[in-house]
Amino acid sequence: MRQLFAPGADAILRLALFVVAAGSVMMLVVAGAVANSDYVSMVGIAPAQPVPFSHKHHSGELGLDCRYCHATVETEATAGMPPTYTCMTCHSQIWTGAPMLAPVRDSLASHKPLAWTRVNRLPDYVYFNHAIHVSKGIGCSSCHGDMTAMQMTLRAQSFHMDFCLQCHRNPAANVRPIGEVLNMSWQAPPDQMARGRALMAQYHIRGAAVLTDCSTCHR
Amino acid sequence: MSSMTGRPHAESQAAARRLRDHFPGAADLLHTQRRQFMRVMAASLALGGLAGCNDDDTRDEIVPPVQQIQGQAPGETLTYASATLMDGFANGVRVTTRDGRPLKIEGNPQHPWSRGGTDVFGQASVLGLYDPFRSQTVTHLTRDSNWPTFRGAMVGTLAALRASGGAGLAILLGPVTSPTLAAQIAQQQGVWPKMRVYSAGGVTREAVYEGTRRAFGQALETHYDFSGVRVAVCLDGDLLDAGPHQVGTARRWAAARREAAAQGGLLTLFAAGPVPNLTSAKADHAICASPALIDTMARALLAQAGGGQAPALPPQAEAWCAAVWAALDGARGAGVVQAGVHASPAVQECVHRLNAALGNTGRTVLHTDPVLIRGQDLRILVADVDRGDVHSLLILGANPVYESPGDVNFAALLGKVSLCIHAGMIVDETAQSVDWHLPMAHPLESWGDARSVDGTASLIQPTISPLYDGKTASEILSLLFEQEPRSALEILRAHWAGLGDEGWRAAQLSGVLAGGGLQPYDVQPTNAPLAQAAPRAAGLDLLFRPDPTVWDGAWADNAWLQELPKPLTKITWENVVGLSPATAAALNVANGDHVVLRVGAQDVEGPVWVIAGQDDAVVSVTLGYGRRVEGQLSAGLGFDAYRLRRLSDPWRVAGVAVHRTGRTQDLACTQSHTTMEGHDFIRVQTMGAAPVGDGDRAAPTLYAAQQGDGRAWGMVIDLDACIGCNACITACQAENNIAVVGRDAVLQGREMQWLRVDIYADARAEAAHGGGEDAAVVAPVRFQPVPCMQCEQAPCEVGCPVEATLHDHEGLNLMVYNRCIGTRACSGYCPYKVRRFNWTDYSAGAAPSMVEQRNPDVTVRARGVMEKCTYCVQRIVQARIVSDRDDTPIADGAVITACQGACPTGAIVFGDLAQNDSAVARAHADPRRYALLGELNTRPRTTYLAALAPALAKRG
Repeated sequence: MRQLFAPGADAILRLALFVVAAGSVMMLVVAGAVANSDYVSMVGIAPAQPVPFSHKHHSGELGLDCRYCHATVETEATAGMPPTYTCMTCHSQIWTGAPMLAPVRDSLASHKPLAWTRVNRLPDYVYFNHAIHVSKGIGCSSCHGDMTAMQMTLRAQSFHMDFCLQCHRNPAANVRPIGEVLNMSWQAPPDQMARGRALMAQYHIRGAAVLTDCSTCHR
Repeated sequence: MSSMTGRPHAESQAAARRLRDHFPGAADLLHTQRRQFMRVMAASLALGGLAGCNDDDTRDEIVPPVQQIQGQAPGETLTYASATLMDGFANGVRVTTRDGRPLKIEGNPQHPWSRGGTDVFGQASVLGLYDPFRSQTVTHLTRDSNWPTFRGAMVGTLAALRASGGAGLAILLGPVTSPTLAAQIAQQQGVWPKMRVYSAGGVTREAVYEGTRRAFGQALETHYDFSGVRVAVCLDGDLLDAGPHQVGTARRWAAARREAAAQGGLLTLFAAGPVPNLTSAKADHAICASPALIDTMARALLAQAGGGQAPALPPQAEAWCAAVWAALDGARGAGVVQAGVHASPAVQECVHRLNAALGNTGRTVLHTDPVLIRGQDLRILVADVDRGDVHSLLILGANPVYESPGDVNFAALLGKVSLCIHAGMIVDETAQSVDWHLPMAHPLESWGDARSVDGTASLIQPTISPLYDGKTASEILSLLFEQEPRSALEILRAHWAGLGDEGWRAAQLSGVLAGGGLQPYDVQPTNAPLAQAAPRAAGLDLLFRPDPTVWDGAWADNAWLQELPKPLTKITWENVVGLSPATAAALNVANGDHVVLRVGAQDVEGPVWVIAGQDDAVVSVTLGYGRRVEGQLSAGLGFDAYRLRRLSDPWRVAGVAVHRTGRTQDLACTQSHTTMEGHDFIRVQTMGAAPVGDGDRAAPTLYAAQQGDGRAWGMVIDLDACIGCNACITACQAENNIAVVGRDAVLQGREMQWLRVDIYADARAEAAHGGGEDAAVVAPVRFQPVPCMQCEQAPCEVGCPVEATLHDHEGLNLMVYNRCIGTRACSGYCPYKVRRFNWTDYSAGAAPSMVEQRNPDVTVRARGVMEKCTYCVQRIVQARIVSDRDDTPIADGAVITACQGACPTGAIVFGDLAQNDSAVARAHADPRRYALLGELNTRPRTTYLAALAPALAKRG
């Protein structure tokens, strides 16, 4: 009787199984890569804003203190966005006619607020508190990157949970003296671990066991 | 999002199902034409909510204000001292606002009346502010209009009134206590002497005032000073029940009871009533007695006090009265005798005379001028309208078309008045029957004042700009009576000009208008003889009671209150016909069977509920249901008990006919099993007996102890102080964004409230009093609030396969919503069944204005995740962050959970068990402290203090 399967059928079956197995693995790898990629996390992408505000000019060249605009970073959970009045404290006197600043002037005149595109975004079930980080020696640039180098604001980190856990599991690696918190070009010194541990004792920063309690960020 | 009419049919069916689930009263809307249904949806509910997909994700934008106001940065909390209104009376509160929106009502410890407590109505009032069903605009003959048009239309009428001195103008006031409004009306009556003022309300206090009038010759308000009180007696009383007096009276009672217990004694509470209520549940010695028997008992007690012939009493009442008299006689000047708002004027009079004879009046029982603004009675209005003396009727904050008794056809009455104006917060039955409807501002968005039961003048401050076009009652009167209408603030400040700027500022900070209170004064009983007792008719009496969660119907559109289980019956979303077990057996009806109640020519059909402890000769119904406004939340829920009410006696109708209909229905009851079956869920500490608490005993355990970092959050709930008022449940719902699930889901046991108050009949007390033989004796019903126990050895943590519930280093049992995959194993492992599961997206269907009320610090849970009490972890974490940021320890009392802050009696104590001498550590050391289901060795952090009971009477 004629055989149902030709001799080459084995090879086809093995090839098919190999493709399925490899394909499944590849799909998982690709899915993982996509999930962690900048395409999904928007790292490095500067979204369009109503006004092309430049941190490089204001914080870098002019040397404005971060807290002039982000006024509640030391006291509240949110760092705070400047109200139109803050922009107008200067721009009512300089660049008063610039077309680039027309939306700001319109906002003041019509009493309609400016709607900025959010760059650093956390899910609803994450409750991040700026005040506690800033007052314990975590610098702005640790999470937001060197703002003084950014013409348009972009996201420096993915803010996936593992980014937060990296530090929460090992705070000593990232703690800097309070005076350096606003220093955008601070780099960890070679003996950071020893310094970090000393700072943790000084600032009463709890250990990793407590910092990785879920209630720290999730309610 | 595309417009309503562009939606495909399938989506609208899903949305319609949700509408039915959320708002069962609107079910009949679904049978209308599709176009009309869409119109109703667009007008009231939808605005993108019920569609289920919400694609305006506002978190993609940051929108700072144009000008930052101090204290209103995102995350900052501004608190205002204000007052919530309960039947017109004030309870001083503090309102927490975020981003310019009020979110939560907290107690105001500085307020001399409420002293930091709140009631369910105060807690739920914040939802009423955002109620999408609120009246938003002036309407003229049900068509939208506006205030200038209204004012223009009134020009002719007002000119005529000015010329005639107010002849033909009648103002019908709802319950209101505002001194400013009273002054405005008085002033206007000076200018227009022919103007008439009437009062109406579902829960009328006329019996209260009539009782004092008979006893003392003048109408008086009564409140109580419990310091040093050793015995309290309630004859058809409502000392601890819902009402304007609940917050202050319960707090004082609980404080006195605690003080007496600390000295080894007991503030004994006696109660006799026809219908069980919170007062009889908390009473140490309660009997059920028909209204006629209570009248006899009151006369008997009075006779003993004044000497003379006491009327004959049946044996169990005689024993009870003897015990009462012995207690009162031994505590002259340190006792309180009370009759409730629903007691007959004769009983009220006896009670006042009894207090006077015992020396309580002026010491523990204090009298002031009436707090309520009292106009003439409704029957006088009916007579005046029938005679044709009224051509313009202004109804301020009342709903007489719904609330007037069944023998008054108020809608027809309105037909005889040429101009009817109604001002109210909701488009209710009256608003639909008048010419002009004016929207009133909610207390949370208006300036005003009001008095508490003890006469303290409280300031009402706005916490948000008016959401809609509402005005306060003062502003409406100013609009009508004055050439230049003034704002509420101007009117208020003008009235309280005597305070000066300093006094005004102090009032804004404390919520109390100093010097504006009513002082109690000495009164002597008159020499007039007691009126004869009315002869008792045979047959069943129908008794009306205000509903413990919707009151007289004023709160019927509040979803939280509709879903709140009533304290004793645990029924939600409707009212029932209460029958005693014997009466129900005689009629051959069980729970849920429908009966028809007939009084005269009117009848009403409702489901039966068997109430143990109710008198056999009495049928009880609660007010506030059976509403008739299509599209409102309350439409079609329950039955309208007002139809059976009679003008002659608002609380009792003699001779009601009750017939079975054969129909039966399921009732959405959250607790139908109320016996402890031999367990000791609620332990009772008999005075003088050995301590019933757990002490230091701890069973051995195989589990390793949880790691702590020094703090140990714990809670102790005093079961003796808990009066079952349910304020804690509503506070928790407000604080934690807990969804309302609707009647169908409650029928399935899917109510979402994190905290429940279990009731159990105290079998031991029944046995002590002679058990079932003595049917008149009512065993105390004990209340037990059950939040998450935050077990140190939590079974739920063992059960969760993904570690979505786990322990933190401060002893909290955490619930991480983003990790939960909905296996519900934790709920299965939990012996206390405190975990609630989101079977569907309960939170998704909320109208945009309701979303405004949500607490931004608490995650809004989606479908498929478990949730439970978290000890208000958002408040703990906020305190922890501030403490770490500023390097200061968390003081005892800095973290107050929502339930703890709301409780009027201070039954809940919360704090750090590891902290030296914290309140909770002291409560933890109390010999009465025990753990619920402690034998399971879950080591709960939430423990209880056993309820107190009097020493068992010697037998023989």
